[in-house]
This record gives sequence, C-alpha cells and structure tokens, in this order.
Amino acid sequence: MIFDDLRVIQLRYGFLPKAELEGLSQRTQTPLYQIHSVASFYPHFHLLPPPKAEVRVCADMSCHLNGACQLRADLLSRFANSRPEDVQIRDVSCLGRCDHAPAISINDHIFTDVTAAHAEQIARNAIQGNTIREPYPEHPRIACKADPYGESQKYGVVRKLTQSKDWEAVLAQLKAAELKGMGGAGFPTSMKWDLVRKQPDPVKYVVCNADESEPGTIKDRFIMTNLPHLLIEGMIISGLVTGAKRGILYIRHEYRLQEEILGAEIRRCYGQGLLGKGLLGSDMDFDLEVFVSPGGYICGEESALIEAIEGHRAEPRNKPPFPGQIGLWQKPTVINNVETFINVPQILARGVDWFVSQGAGGSRGLKFVAVSGHVTHPGIFEVPMGVPMRDIILNHAGGVRSGRQLKAFAPSGPSSGYLPASMADVRLDFKALAEAGSMLGSGAIVVCDDTTCMLDMALNAVRFYRSESCGKCVPCRVGSQKMADLLVGWTQGGVPETQYRADLALLDELSEAMSLTSICGLGQIAPAPIQSVLKHFRTEVDAHVLQGQCPSGICFTPAARAGEAPRVGIRP
Amino acid sequence: MTTATTPLGFVDISLDGQPVRVPAGTSVFDAARVNGINIPTLCHLQNQTPVGVCRLCVVDTGARVLAASCVRPVEPGMKVVTNSEKVVNARKTLLELLMSDHPWPCARQQNSGDCELETLAKAAGASPSRFAKRTVARGKDDSSLAIAVDHDACILCDRCIRACDEVKSNFVLGRMGKGYSAGIAFDLNSPMGDSTCISCGECMVSCPTGALTNKNVVGTVIAAGPDAQGLQAEDLLQIPVFNGVSGTFLELNRGAIVKHRFRKDQIICREGEFGSTAFYILEGKAKVSISTPMAHVKTQGGAKGFFKRLTSTLVAREEDQREEEARDRTIPIDASVDLAYGNPVAELGPGDLFGEMTCMNFYPRSATVIAQSDVVAFEMLRNVLDIMLKNKTFRAQLDHTYRRRALENHLRGVPMFAGLSSEFIEHLKKSVELQRYAPGQVIVQQGTPADSFYLVRIGFVKVSENYPGGELVLAYLSRGDYFGEIGLLGGGFRTATCTALDHVELVRISGDDFRDMVALFASVRIGLEAVAAERRAANQQRMHMVHNVPIDQFLSQGLMEAQSLLILDLENCTRCDACVNACADAHDGITRLVRDGLRFDQYLVATSCRQCRDPLCMVGCPVGSIRRRNSLEVIIEDWCIGCGLCAQNCPYGNINLHPFEVLVDDPGRTGSKKTAIRQKATSCDLCMNLKEPSCVYACPHDAAHRVDPRTFFATMLGQGSAK
Repeated sequence: MIFDDLRVIQLRYGFLPKAELEGLSQRTQTPLYQIHSVASFYPHFHLLPPPKAEVRVCADMSCHLNGACQLRADLLSRFANSRPEDVQIRDVSCLGRCDHAPAISINDHIFTDVTAAHAEQIARNAIQGNTIREPYPEHPRIACKADPYGESQKYGVVRKLTQSKDWEAVLAQLKAAELKGMGGAGFPTSMKWDLVRKQPDPVKYVVCNADESEPGTIKDRFIMTNLPHLLIEGMIISGLVTGAKRGILYIRHEYRLQEEILGAEIRRCYGQGLLGKGLLGSDMDFDLEVFVSPGGYICGEESALIEAIEGHRAEPRNKPPFPGQIGLWQKPTVINNVETFINVPQILARGVDWFVSQGAGGSRGLKFVAVSGHVTHPGIFEVPMGVPMRDIILNHAGGVRSGRQLKAFAPSGPSSGYLPASMADVRLDFKALAEAGSMLGSGAIVVCDDTTCMLDMALNAVRFYRSESCGKCVPCRVGSQKMADLLVGWTQGGVPETQYRADLALLDELSEAMSLTSICGLGQIAPAPIQSVLKHFRTEVDAHVLQGQCPSGICFTPAARAGEAPRVGIRP
Repeated sequence: MTTATTPLGFVDISLDGQPVRVPAGTSVFDAARVNGINIPTLCHLQNQTPVGVCRLCVVDTGARVLAASCVRPVEPGMKVVTNSEKVVNARKTLLELLMSDHPWPCARQQNSGDCELETLAKAAGASPSRFAKRTVARGKDDSSLAIAVDHDACILCDRCIRACDEVKSNFVLGRMGKGYSAGIAFDLNSPMGDSTCISCGECMVSCPTGALTNKNVVGTVIAAGPDAQGLQAEDLLQIPVFNGVSGTFLELNRGAIVKHRFRKDQIICREGEFGSTAFYILEGKAKVSISTPMAHVKTQGGAKGFFKRLTSTLVAREEDQREEEARDRTIPIDASVDLAYGNPVAELGPGDLFGEMTCMNFYPRSATVIAQSDVVAFEMLRNVLDIMLKNKTFRAQLDHTYRRRALENHLRGVPMFAGLSSEFIEHLKKSVELQRYAPGQVIVQQGTPADSFYLVRIGFVKVSENYPGGELVLAYLSRGDYFGEIGLLGGGFRTATCTALDHVELVRISGDDFRDMVALFASVRIGLEAVAAERRAANQQRMHMVHNVPIDQFLSQGLMEAQSLLILDLENCTRCDACVNACADAHDGITRLVRDGLRFDQYLVATSCRQCRDPLCMVGCPVGSIRRRNSLEVIIEDWCIGCGLCAQNCPYGNINLHPFEVLVDDPGRTGSKKTAIRQKATSCDLCMNLKEPSCVYACPHDAAHRVDPRTFFATMLGQGSAK
C-alpha cells in the first residue's frame, strides 16, 4: 500500500526525500507522478523537511468561536523571531476536538483547550528536540442507552444470526424501522444493503466511514470510544447480510485513541471467533481491518474515501454508478457512517417498536449530537431523535455561556448553514430541519452567542470548503476560492454600493452553479453558509458593506484585515 | 419511454423534447452529438476516457443537480434538456470562473487563435470575467526544448494526463497538490525538461488552452534547396523511426526537419563549421574524416638572442613527442564512431546519426562528412532531434548501433581496457546502460556510495570537489573520458561530484561488471589503479594549494593554479604596449598577450594563460583536443581542427588561432594536393625557448615581471594587510 510505504519513509526522515520516492517508484513499479500526485494531495505527508515544531492552529467553526484567531496571532508574535526551520505556525482544518476548543496540533500531536502560553511551552520543548506526546484524555466508558447489552454478553445479534441466517428479516426490520444514514445524506440503510446484497459479484466489501471531519462533528469519536463493539457488530451484520467477506474501518488519523480502542476490540473479536474464517463455527467469513486516513475532509465523501483506500488521490467519483454497484476496487460496497452501523444491532436486539419509541415528536431512534461553540458544557449527548434544538442547547449543553444570548446556531456544522435563535425550536429530525432550509447532517450543533459576526462565520465556513476542496472539478476548485475572495472584500470594507449589488448577483450565480454542477456534496453545499446568512442576517451583511460597520466588532480590525495564515495542504 | 417496441440493446430517451434511440451504454454527450446537438466541453476528448471534471457539458436530467453528460450513460426514459436557461447560466458561470485566472490571450490563442476556453467564453459572453483574479501566479516552465508549459493557463482538464497515460503509456504527467492550488506536475514535480518526459507531444496536442504549447526554435526552418525537401507529417509517420511521435507535433514543426539527397562526393558538413542541425542517414554511405594536419604548434628559434624572431611551426608527433602522448588514442567525434589517430577516417551508413552535439549543444562540427554514394538523409533541428532521442523506437535503434559499432572502440580507446578479452567486451556490450543527462544534472554526488563506472559518450562532464569556500573544478571530461573508478577502487564513496554541463550521454558500467573486469584482467587493474592514484595525487596537490593560499578573491579569479603570471606594475607602466608588440613579434605577428586583466593593488595581471581553476576553454571542444597536462599546463592536441571555440570560451582572451599554410587533398582533382590555410589554437608558451619571456625583456620601464603567483601574492597581499 502506497500510504504505508510513504509513512515508513516519513517516519525515518521526517519527510519524503526525492531519492526515497524514486526508490519507491522503482521497487513498486509505480510511476513517479503517481507517487507525487498522492504525496502532494494529503496534508499528512511532507515533501519538504518540516520545522522542529510544526504548530497548526485549528481555524474552523468551534475553535474560531473560541479564540483561534487570537491564539494564532499570539503564537505568531511569540515566535516572531524564530527561524522557520525551528517553528512554523499555520492553520489547519478541524482536528475533531470541537468540545475542547481551541485545539492545536504540534508535530501531529493534538492539544486541546490550549492557551498561547501553553502552546508556546510545548512548541519550545519540541524545538529543543524533546519528544512531545499527545495527552490521551481518560475516557471513562459512559453507559449509553444505545447499548443493548450493558454488562451482559455482547454480539448477541451476530450470535443469533449465524444460527438463523434470516437475512431477509434483517432487511425487513431495518426497513420497518426506517433507519436512515447518519452521516449526513440520510439514505435508507435497508435499500443500500439490499442493493449490494442483490449484486451477483462474489466479492463485496463493507466500509465504515469513521472519517468525520466536518467542523463541529465529533459524535463518531464518542461512539467509537464508548460503543466500539456495537460498531463492529453492525459491520459484521452488514457483511453477513450482503455477502461481503471483508470490512474496512476508515478512521481519520487524528483519532489515535479510537484507533487503539477499535484495534483492541477487533483483536478480541478474532480471539472469540466473531471475526475471521468460519464465524462462530458457521460457514461464513468476515475479516475486519482499520484503515487510517492520510487526512482531509474530502475523504469523508464516500467515493473519495474509496479512492483513498485504493491509494489514489481522494477525488470523488462521478455518480452513478454508486458504490453499492461499483465501489471499492470496482466491487459492490456497503459504505455507512459509524452511527448507522451502531443503530443496526440496537434495532435487531430490541425490535422495531423499541426503536420507534425512543424518538420524540414522531421521530425514531436515538441520536448522538455534538454541541460546541458558545455553550457552557460543550460535548456529545445521546438524545431522542426529534427533540427541539433549544432543548439540546439549554438542557444538555448548559445553554449559552456567560449569560449571553443565543444569536444563531448551525444544526450540523457549516453544511447546514446558520439558523437564527428564533428558529431554535426546530426539531432534531431529517424532515423538520430540511423544511427549515437546513439539514440534520451529522448532528454537529454549533452555537453562536450575540457577540458573533455572522458574515465572519460565513467566511470562515467558505474558507473551510475552499481549503478542503480536492480540486477535481471546476465549480468547487475555482468557485470556492472566488467566493472567499468576494466575502473577504465585504469584510474589509470599501465596496461601493453598486459593486455590492453586482457582487450579490454574482454570488447568487456562483452559488447556483456550484450547487448544480459540482461533482460531490462538498462543492454543492459550500454556498449554504453564506446563503443562510444572507437569508437570516441580511441587515448585518448590509451594515458591513454599506455602512462599513461590523455590528459585532469582529471585522475591519487589523487582525481581520491581516487575513488568514496559510493552511496545511494549500500550497501556493 | 423505453417501450415494448424498443429493440434489445437500445435505449429510448427524450433529448430536448425529441425522441431519440441510441445503443445502451451511450453517454448522454454522445447521444446528443450524433443527433446534431453540440454540448460544449473542455475536458472531454473522443479518444480519451471521460472524466467529467470541467462540468461544462452538464445537462438537466430532472434531478436535484445537473449531470455531466460525458460521464452519464443514457437511461431508459431519461428526459434530457441540454440548453435550458439553468444549464446555460451554469455553464457561463463556469467559464467565467476559469477565465478569471486565465492569461488572456494565452499562448495558444496568440499562436493559433484556437484556445478552446477563450473561444467558448467569448461565445457564452463570459469574458471578461467578473471574478477576482488569482493573486499568486502558478508560473511557467521553460525547461523542455519542445514544449512550453504555462501553469497559469492550465484548467486541470486532465486531458494531458490521459494523453500521457492512456494514449501513449508514458506515465509522466499527473495532478499535484489539492484544491485551488492543484496543478499538473511531471514526475516528482520536476521541470518538464528534466523529467522522464520523452516529448512525444501528445499532451500538448491534447491541451485545450495555452498551458502546453509547441515551442518554436529560433530560425526554425532549414533552408530547403533543390535537393532538399520539406516533409509532411504523414510522410514522416510512414518511417519506422517516427513510430510513436505525435503527428500533430511533426505538423507543428514542419520545416524543422528536411530530407536531403546528396550526390556522390558532395560535402554534407565540414569540420569546424558552426551549425545547429543533426543528420540521420536513411540511404547510402558517407565518409567521415578529419582533414586537419595531425600536428601541434611548436615555437622554435631564439637561440641567438631575443631579437631573432621566434617561429611557430606545425610539428607532427613523431618529431616532437610530448609526454602523455605516447599512447595511441582515438579521436572522439560527433557520430557513433571514433576515428583512429593513425587514419582518421570512418564510414557512416543507413541508421547512423551524426551532428548530435552540434545540434543539441551548438558545438562546431567535429568532422567532415562526404557522401560516398548518393545519400538520402534527414537534417533536423534541436526540437525534432530532442523528440527523436526520447522516442523509444529511435532510442533503441541508436542504442543498438552504438553497442554494435562504437562501444568496442570506445572501450578499447581507453588504454587500460586494451587488455580486455573479446568475450568480456561482448558481455559489456549487452550489460552496459546508456544514460542521458540534462544540463546541470548531477550524475554522481561527492560522498555518496559509488556503484558504477562511466564512460562519456557525448557532451561534457564537470568534475568538481567541495572545499571550504566553494567548488573546485578538477576537470572537464568529454567523449572518450571516463570517471567513477576512484570511488569503486577506493573507499566505495564518491570523492568528487560530476555534473552534466550540457546534453550528456554516458555509458554506465555497473559496479559488479567493473569489479569483475578488475578481478579478471590484471592489466586493467594495474592501469586503473595507476590512473586513480595519479588523479588522487593531483587532486590532493590542488587541495593542498587551496589550503595554503586561503585568499578567496585570489582563488575566485582563477590565479591560483598559474605557473607564471605576467604582472605589470602600474606605478611604472607607461602603457606603451612594448610588451604586447614584443609578444607579437615573437609569435609570427600574433600576440598571445593583452595588456588588460585583473588588478591587485598596483599590479595588473595581464592576460596570458593562467591554467585556470575552472578551465572553461576545455568545454565544447568538438574533438577533445584541448586538455590539461598533469603539470597543469593547458595543451592543445594534434588534431585540433581550428574551430576556435576554445578561444571564444577563454574568458581572459588567452587562446589565439594561428593560421598555417598546409597541403590538403584537392577535392577538385583526385590524387593531387593544394595549398590551404588551416588554423590551430595556441596559448601562451612563456617563450619557453628563450631565457626570459619576450614581453618582460622588452619592457623599457621595468614594469613587467613574470612571477610565481603563490610567493608573489602571498608577500604582496601579506604586506597589504600589514599596512
């Protein structure tokens, strides 16, 4: 595997020296350009020697709301006299620690709730050549309602299924439960599995998408920490039902703790005959392995994820065909989110009625949501599907912190756009949120208090998409940059009114073209944040451009004018 | 819409309201095209796998988003709209996005007016663009001889990538980076000219914009005479050696390749002439020879005092044997054969290429080629030759010719290899590798493990060592020279860095073969060890000098290796030029001294050969006849053809050309001789036959001195610093 080869080289040299890549090309008979196109795509790989301390400040929503800009500016001034071979400070996209913002990574080790002084100390340590270690927070196993087993024997559903082999019943139950994909798109799970099951190809795969990288989204991290057995059981069931004999769990590389927990659980399963050849003495096989992502939000797009596993640049495929027909290595592939998989054993162990009863207001099942931003207790909460957003923000996350007022919230990270406080009663539900002009997405609720500048938040979201665009198709690659350029102009003032009117029209044209013509969801959804802000907070945007005022006092400051630090993966 | 009447294997769809029946599996794009509906596209080409990245070909199929028609197969009952307002607007925005970063007009638009992006954008009213321009330019790459790369004009349509991979199977080009900063790259993001690109031209003809365009060589067209014929691409493609070359490329380079018919005895090229073309023989035989008299310049006379005029004459080797000349060596020329010193004539036939150095590196012709029968030959310019040399078929043929005809001579031309058995030479013929290097490319790096031995076939290789304060050039190696033995015989590491100065071709003998050779043939081992020891000693001596004279400026100005410098004390000098005149008087009226040069304090170091640290004069000699003696003096070998390149290259003007009257074969009358002027290069000989150099003797003001630079400058500069 090319990533393994590259990691071995990088481990030895700290980066990928040219001579080593040439050697790799010779050894593996891979054209040089293929190696370079992959190595230059993923932020995980360095083509040049990195500094002794490579400090990357997470710049996305939750960290942005928690002073990431100030932290970065502080760090830049603290290291103003340092040499670039000692320290480099850059932005990085969401590190998946939104509940402990702001987060930074130093030499790929992640530190949370950091202050500038703390970060400086770690970086200086690294410059002196000391090894630094990521603190592994103690994660007590939290008992979840979703776990049907508690203290009793786990993997009960798989044990029963290897006896009954009643696959149709599994699909029927999932269908009756109306289980939908929890990664964002909400596609009915039973349909996806049934499609793969019906494919005549003897080789099929099950892939778990544990690459959650959308700002604010950390629920899968929590699930993998606390319910690894449910995830693995869900994948085994999927393999048994669809006839796939191999499963791959694709996890983002920032989740080292979860990688260890899952690795241990998988080894335990092999030991107990729950994985491998002749599962639990039956005639069925299922192997499961963990694949660590070389990085990038785009890898969470299912076909890009498949490309990454195949060792290519993570560029989404044109669809159709869908992975269920032609997926990993051109074979039929089930690909589901972590939370989707853990819902399967819940439904099969406790029945459809139990599942239906768990929801609120007519919705079904339980949902893990992450709440971050300006709240008293950011974190991950297990709530009934269908509860009002206000309930989650107030009762679970302790409400808006420091006694401030709720101004806006993103129901699911930047993709869902921003809704005003007046819409906080919208229910956590696929349909309800879609009707509100938003989406359930991955359940990443990001809360903004009344000090937040919404134009700034829109720009922050657009920059995230710009930085994470794979660059395959024109609308997303070029459009996301031009959209950011346009908004930067607005936040910096000096745009005459006629120009503003023209900009608004151009922005609408651009948004429409991106939504209609981008290959994947990234480019299609990238206009959502600014469009939602224009819809709900138009006066605020007008004030910026027409009066040259930022009602929240965020924009027009020297810090805002200085623009952004170069992002990882963005090589000018 | 597919009904019971739809035949098996066909699909019925609605296309802009019209019912259309196409074979199943047809793309919407093709379905539209065969039905006369043109959908615009930038990334799709009929002979390439569709990738759907430019998104211009989007159509409305009634779904939430538009579909790229090039990658969307028709489905039964599909209702396709190709030109609704929604579709047209989306396309216009896409074009406007691309145009905002497009250099306008781009190279293609300027050259041929057919940039596909600009054409579509103009038609759609998407130009000029309302979006902000890219702020950081992505740059140009001018390193390839055949293709100009403008990354700013690249729209990442991936056509070139597919052309390189799918169409030509060359696997050089790919995408690099991510997002807005993504671009195309060759190999590991090497400049195109240094990459493994073979310049087949397929990428360039696939490119829709000015990102990859044909590079025109200055004065591209070869003069076509009555016997010369410009060629059409179709004619060329019939010839096996053009197999795999892009027809469009040949089309674009029309005039850069000409077919000649030379009659018997017609001269194809003359030694010493400058040129910019190479020849490839298709039919007939030609004689390659050098006609220069095999002699060097010797200054004689002066036995009766200074005022007796010195005379320079040509003397042959038998009469005036110099050290190191005892061995018989072959004369390297710019063809696939070497000439024997005793009889510098050889024959060229069909499949032979000559003039490669002249064409690629613009060196003078190394030999005269005369048609022996009627000869049909291609004459080509640099960009065509470059493509040919990168062409697999042609390479294989050249490689074969070289192994068959020249390798043995080449090996035997190295004196210590004379003792190799025929079997071993046969083995080497099969096992050696021919390698090409681009100008500036490092062949071996000092301090790295030594794993091979190299013979220079074409071009010049600079051998240098690192020393505190910079690089010291030890030698320039050209055809017939070899390197790499010290590392292999010694500690296993390279003791010097060897860099290609121009287009260099080397014969690589693997470390294993080399060790076998040394183990099997005692004469080879003894010879090589002697040479290696000699080179090591010479290097050490030089390094020693460097360490003892740690004056950077002094070193950097090339004085440190001088045997004897002419110093003019400017406080005494009246600029009367008596020294210059004396030099001219002493050397047949041609001065080897110019009263000009570098100044140190009150001293002028007049220009006369100073045996430079970095002897640039040696670079480019087409026949390898200028070299450095072990005593560091620069000498010019017998077979100097008088082309004058060394004189041009000497930065100090210390090499002059000396005309001599000689008898040569009269081409008009076979068998008879006629008088002709031949030139030979000369440099300062320190009036070796006189007690004192004439320049010093002639100075009426005691301003001219010949000094040993090391002692002189050490004292002079030492005093200077004491002040």
